[in-house]
Amino acid sequence: MKRIMLIARREYGAYAKTVGFWLSLLAFPLFAVLGGVLPALMMSAEPVRNVVVLEDGPQAQGLAAAVQGAVRLEQERRQARMAEATAEAEKQGGQAGASAAGQALNRLAGLRLRIVATPAELSAAQPGEAREAIARRYLGDAVPEADQLDSVVLLNRIDGKPAARVWTRRATDDTVEDFVRDVLKDANRREAFEQAGINAAVVEETERFRPDITALSPKSATGGEVSFRDRLPTIIGLVSGFLLWSLVITGASILLNSVMEEKANKILEVLLSSASATEILTGKVLGVAMLTGTVMLVWGGIGTFGLLAANAETAAMVGEVLLDGGMLGYFIAYAVGGYLMYAVLFAAIGAFCETPRDAQTLMGPIMMVLTVPILVMVLAVQTPDSPVVQILSWIPFFTPFLMSARAPSEPPMIEVVGTMAGMFAFALLMVWIAGRAFRAGALSDVKLSWRGFAGAIRGGGK
Amino acid sequence: MAAALTLEGVSKRYGDFQAVRDLSFQVEKGTICGFLGPNGAGKTSTLRMILGLQAASAGRIDILGSDDGRKVRDRIGFLPEERGLYKKMTPVDAIAFFGALKGLPTGEGRKRAREMLDAQGLGESRNKKMKELSKGMAQKVQLIASVVHRPEFVILDEPFSGLDPVNQQGLEAMIRKLAADGATVLFSTHVMQHAERLCDKVVLLARGQKAFEGTVAEAQATSKRFLELEGAIDAAQAAALPGVSGVEVVSEQDGVRVLKAALGQGGRGQEALKAAFLGGLDVRRFELREPSLHDAFISLTGDHPDIDQSVKAGAEAAR
Repeated sequence: MKRIMLIARREYGAYAKTVGFWLSLLAFPLFAVLGGVLPALMMSAEPVRNVVVLEDGPQAQGLAAAVQGAVRLEQERRQARMAEATAEAEKQGGQAGASAAGQALNRLAGLRLRIVATPAELSAAQPGEAREAIARRYLGDAVPEADQLDSVVLLNRIDGKPAARVWTRRATDDTVEDFVRDVLKDANRREAFEQAGINAAVVEETERFRPDITALSPKSATGGEVSFRDRLPTIIGLVSGFLLWSLVITGASILLNSVMEEKANKILEVLLSSASATEILTGKVLGVAMLTGTVMLVWGGIGTFGLLAANAETAAMVGEVLLDGGMLGYFIAYAVGGYLMYAVLFAAIGAFCETPRDAQTLMGPIMMVLTVPILVMVLAVQTPDSPVVQILSWIPFFTPFLMSARAPSEPPMIEVVGTMAGMFAFALLMVWIAGRAFRAGALSDVKLSWRGFAGAIRGGGK
Repeated sequence: MAAALTLEGVSKRYGDFQAVRDLSFQVEKGTICGFLGPNGAGKTSTLRMILGLQAASAGRIDILGSDDGRKVRDRIGFLPEERGLYKKMTPVDAIAFFGALKGLPTGEGRKRAREMLDAQGLGESRNKKMKELSKGMAQKVQLIASVVHRPEFVILDEPFSGLDPVNQQGLEAMIRKLAADGATVLFSTHVMQHAERLCDKVVLLARGQKAFEGTVAEAQATSKRFLELEGAIDAAQAAALPGVSGVEVVSEQDGVRVLKAALGQGGRGQEALKAAFLGGLDVRRFELREPSLHDAFISLTGDHPDIDQSVKAGAEAAR
């Protein structure tokens, strides 16, 4: 036991004492936050474009009004959505939270274009090349900065159908172009309905319509309407499944590289003269498990702290699901089983390899197997009782990830107990197999193949 | 003297390949034993079986009173042929870690590590990382790591390989000190000069089988003395000298040849030299050589080209 702890401690220290480990540990939550915040920041930082809308001739009459109306309507719609969100925030986080949320949403929700007054020389110019030459000038630096425009929209009709020539300051900016396209599509539809004898007010009312849908389920907390609280376990299940997959694979890969490095540096043979193969394997698996545990604790701590700071009520709900719903227990059990299975397998492969290239022979098929739970995970959350998900859950290699994802949907107890028992039984079998392969591989100079690996398991390094 | 190690009829087979065949020998307590043989002779396999890292296919091994090296691993020190330590560890940490694996308290391990590194002139490097040390320094550190727990039995697999002459001398001194402190030392090598200088006893291994077991003097006695002649003479003229046999031409340039010949039992060099003068042979160099362990090895294992090449390469490395 003392040797196992010595090896585990060295393994842990070898990584935990490096700056790189802590940097990569903190990088995940940092990038997760950035991934969520960055698009919003980019959106709020996006400038509001000054747009001029002109009708090129009497045949385009009414189109400018349609564009102006659409801008006004879109702004009203966004304001209404913002008011709803602010009210919700006030309900959950008080007045201060609502105010902050309102300001943030205001920055994010505003339409990124506004229609400005048309310069006199532009409106006075004849439609065609003369007007377009002036428009081009207003989009460049030839006019004072205060007078510069971001876009000039020249509306007309081609074969009687609404059309436009959209000039923009930047060739890659298609915001105004997209907006105008949608408006002209609506205008064309409205005109078509009107020609068919349908009242314009009816058309507008139809377009404004937003259905009021209420999700209900007898399994919801109230036995009726489904709330965010009811959907939370599903979200946690999905996140748990992916997190578990990521942690298990990361831990097992660390172990593979560690063993491979010791094999390449000829340290394994020295270790084997001081400790048994089982002690070395156990020590290394334990050391990397401690590392994985550290990662979970740090990520969990950051997540808890971040959620508490951002929204205490949601944090309380997450805590309730994890603790009262038993999700945490499931997560730990599946983490232990999953890590054990993959860690010992990767360690055994590492014992035969001196370079990552050597390991590719065996890692290829294993990585292919590992993509299956990722592909099925979303299905396991949405339709946890589908036969495919149920069958795959019984395959020990997939059990930890799929059952973690299914756990919130409360699968039958026979499945929970059966798959967990199967997973741990298989993990023990893997420990036995990998132990034999590890011992054989540690002293072997043979280039690894599946055949050689199977032979090593049969021979057990004798 | 009691035996620290006994091998009886030990064999090792890997599939169809017989690495070691019916090997028996003993190493007495407190002695230095050289385990000699060319590359691929089965030395490393035997050492691994002694340590219990690999099971013998047949036979019996007794080390320090146990039939399983793993049961007495804390009393054994082992330096493998291909060496390596954790590159990011300091020498003190590495030595203390491997000492701790052998049951030495970490504090005591660190204390001994500092003392031993100082004694080997590595005091200034004790806090550097292993990757910053030269190969010779790293090998010294590894040897210290393998003996820091003061083992009763030390197994060194090709300990001199890759070392420069100065470090080889230093290592020889360390091995002598280990034996002087009471440890039994078994080291494998294909460089005969080290064995000649260090060993109380040698075991010669060739193609997985024991070719000889005894003292260095006994090994040398199995081989004939040699004459080396240089001059404008041919092999037939040399063969006609009294007591001389097995003449071979070593080299020839501009009519001047270097000849090598065995001097038989009871043959006297002076008589051969006198006969050469009286016969008017053009002898420019006449040298009588006592057989070395290298010669004995060639004689005992047969003049197999692979063996000869390996032994010669070893001899050159030692020079």
